[in-house]
Amino acid sequence: MKAVINLKNVTCSFGSKQVLSGISLEIRHKEIFGMLGPSGAGKTTLINILTGQLPYGGEARIFDTECARIGHDVYRDIGAVLDKCGLYERLSCMDNMLLFARIHNVPRIAISDVINKVGLKGSERIKVGKFSKGMKQRLQLACAVLHKPKLLFLDEPTSGLDPSTAAEIHSLMRELRENGTTIFLTTHNMDEAYRMCDRVALLNEGIIAECGSPYEICRKYCTQSEFIIVTSDNEKISLPNSPESAGKAAELILGGKIRTIHSAEPDLGTVFLKLTGRKLTK
Amino acid sequence: MRTSLSILNKQFKDSLNNLPTLMIIMIYPIVAFIMIIAMRGEEFAGRMFISMFATMHCCFAPATTASNIISEEKEKGTLRSLIMSGVSRINYLVSISLFVILASMLTGSTFLLMDQFDCEYAFKFLSAMFLGAVTSTLLGLCIGINSKNTAAANGMAVPVGLTISLIPMLAQFNDGIAKVSKLLYSGRISLILGDGGNVSWDTAAVIGAYLVLFSVILVFLFKKKGLEQG
Ligand SMILES: Nc1ncnc2c1ncn2[C@@H]1O[C@H](COP(=O)(O)OP(=O)(O)OP(=O)(O)O)[C@@H](O)[C@H]1O
Ligand SMILES: [Mg+2]
Repeated sequence: MKAVINLKNVTCSFGSKQVLSGISLEIRHKEIFGMLGPSGAGKTTLINILTGQLPYGGEARIFDTECARIGHDVYRDIGAVLDKCGLYERLSCMDNMLLFARIHNVPRIAISDVINKVGLKGSERIKVGKFSKGMKQRLQLACAVLHKPKLLFLDEPTSGLDPSTAAEIHSLMRELRENGTTIFLTTHNMDEAYRMCDRVALLNEGIIAECGSPYEICRKYCTQSEFIIVTSDNEKISLPNSPESAGKAAELILGGKIRTIHSAEPDLGTVFLKLTGRKLTK
Repeated sequence: MRTSLSILNKQFKDSLNNLPTLMIIMIYPIVAFIMIIAMRGEEFAGRMFISMFATMHCCFAPATTASNIISEEKEKGTLRSLIMSGVSRINYLVSISLFVILASMLTGSTFLLMDQFDCEYAFKFLSAMFLGAVTSTLLGLCIGINSKNTAAANGMAVPVGLTISLIPMLAQFNDGIAKVSKLLYSGRISLILGDGGNVSWDTAAVIGAYLVLFSVILVFLFKKKGLEQG
């Protein structure tokens, strides 16, 4: 299967400031791909390039179309939730949805289904100007997925959302993927990246510092060979991977003193902190 | 076609909820109506008033409304949402122009209710207003494409629109201004409206020249800046 997104040595600069300096990537069909990186790394810039909104150097293609030449026919297959995209604030939630449904030639019944999935049921008649930030974000998502796009761009889709709404959005993303949508998202939420993404890339200082499945990346950076036991007294014990530890662990198990056992590979946040030397949060 | 209708539909709904736009589209017919009622029986009232206000309406409203809609859509990012949904830029501009012309003709046709027009004059009157509305819409599109946000667009469209629409009125009182007015498309529209809808060759030439000029500027700006930049 051909890659949905294909980047070869993509560069981008604003004036003298080089933001991307040679990005090469392939994103496959039905993949959820996460772009991680510290604030200002160029994640949004990359999405803007991919959606044909910014000039760039190198080769960037989606569905085999050069991004600089994306026309409205290609846009029909894309959905995007970006900061720069707005909603009609003087119109109601439903009127906004109706507009995009008509443009995409989607039947009206599809609207209520999507509205339920993003948790906006009951707010259809409210003017969007009166929506909270999170509600607007969800409505944007609803408008972007109404036509079941082949490729979906999400710039920090769950930032500022409460955990239960974020979970609803995650399940919507999974459902879309099952139905054949490829998803490219950026996030600062390492937990989201680990659980949702098939592969992630870490963008740092204009290049991709690491790319792969979250699990593989975590395993790759696991330098110590150890495991952690939390005892029934809530005591945390790190044990090296050695024959002596087996005795100690067996003793705790036999004594019924074990609450949990953990592997000790670093989580994504720790790996990326190590790679960037910076915190990932804004 | 489907896309144009959806944009037209959304624009009608949006404008009905937008007081400033509503005001711009309705102000001149309303003022004319009030003036005519207030000055009923006086010789000055009647046709002359109607054609004066109709000129101001068809020259001012489309230019300011078109530039305001486009610049606001840029500023709020809704234009980007439309484009990302596969609406072509040209389709968008055509739909907005259709809305602006339709809305100003709808409110503008109320001028016909303010006096007794025979069918032929009414037709000519509406046609002249239509010509003015199309030319002004082109001007409004140019200003909208050239402006980053509504403040910039209004800062340009309001003074330009006012000048273009007021000069034909002032021309009634001053010969110097009347000469300038003849060089403006609005002045020529005013002449047609005041002269029972008859069009002379030089009037047709002046209006045609403005249509061509605004179209050329529009194409130039569109090619150079695209739609989203400004
Ligand atoms: N239009 C622009 N003009 C000039 N510089 C820009 C522009 N857009 C982005 N930049 C610069 O490019 C860099 C990358 O910005 P970008 O928005 O892509 O970062 P990001 O990774 O999305 O950050 P965040 O996580 O905070 O959203 C920043 O240093 C920013 O200042
Ligand atoms: Mg960003």
